[in-house]
Amino acid sequence: MRNLSHLDESECISRAQRGDVSAFSELVSRFQDRIHRFLVRLTRSQDDARDLTQETFLRAFQSLPRWTPDARFTTWLFRIARNLAFDLLRRHKRVEFVALEEHATIVDTAQGPDDVLQTAQRLRLLEAALLRLPSEHREILLLREIEDMTYDDIADVLGLNLGTVKSRIARARSALIGATPR
Amino acid sequence: MHCPPFDDLSAYVDHMLKPRARERLHAHVEDCPDCQRQLQALHTLRSRLQEMPSPELGFDLGARLQDQLRAASDRKRQWRLGWAWSGWLPAGLAAAAMASGVWLGGLLVAGSTVSLPRATMVRVFDPVPPGGLCAAAELCNLPKGMR
Repeated sequence: MRNLSHLDESECISRAQRGDVSAFSELVSRFQDRIHRFLVRLTRSQDDARDLTQETFLRAFQSLPRWTPDARFTTWLFRIARNLAFDLLRRHKRVEFVALEEHATIVDTAQGPDDVLQTAQRLRLLEAALLRLPSEHREILLLREIEDMTYDDIADVLGLNLGTVKSRIARARSALIGATPR
Repeated sequence: MHCPPFDDLSAYVDHMLKPRARERLHAHVEDCPDCQRQLQALHTLRSRLQEMPSPELGFDLGARLQDQLRAASDRKRQWRLGWAWSGWLPAGLAAAAMASGVWLGGLLVAGSTVSLPRATMVRVFDPVPPGGLCAAAELCNLPKGMR
């Protein structure tokens, strides 16, 4: 396999669009861990996440000729991964559909949650609490807090408007802070 | 000012408030211990989530997918090639139809020069019935060797 690590993302993409498999493999190597960690926490299964990561990149390769630079490549990849994950979760009936009323009462978080998250044990508890959140909350927190995406990019990945992104992030944060042991 | 809704505190942490709303909220938070605690909780949540160990795939997926990607690429190329050829098919058929039309037309035009057998050589009825024996070789128009 040729070493194409010196190429920037756009050059890799345009080569891959012309059918250069090595250039696409370089893109896979760059993004595989981000897509995988998103999928592990979204599906809550290492095996499913591994399969879906592979499927995400195969789908992306097939659809790459239709990709245009007006969509960011990263958000486009995450959208493919997210859709595949939700297809799987629906098939396995593992999606928790919850009513996401955007203006419902928010949990009061004023009671010293910073003391809660101090040790490795507490990190594990945080991870467990994250995995217990409804999928809609979990995915938006993963994109915002772990992947550090902007509201615009999140709206693009999830197909939501900015107002919904803002309120859903707030509700997901509130739910996680409320679910974390104090 | 009353305490702002949690949505605004969350957007404030992400620098997603409009400048005037941000200034107003900033001024309120400076004097509100409750809001300060909530903001602290939001910052702590973010930093702790980023501290969580990140699961890794553990192998080079790009290298592993090379064969499948090449196969997919070849299939796509063949499909495109087939599509390109199929685009020429109607044109080829049209050309063949036109050529055969010209040839048949040529036969009609040249029909007057086609030599027809002389009338004396045309026999309407065979003198020998089917399966019958030939009474005289010259009547039956047999080949020379059989006479």
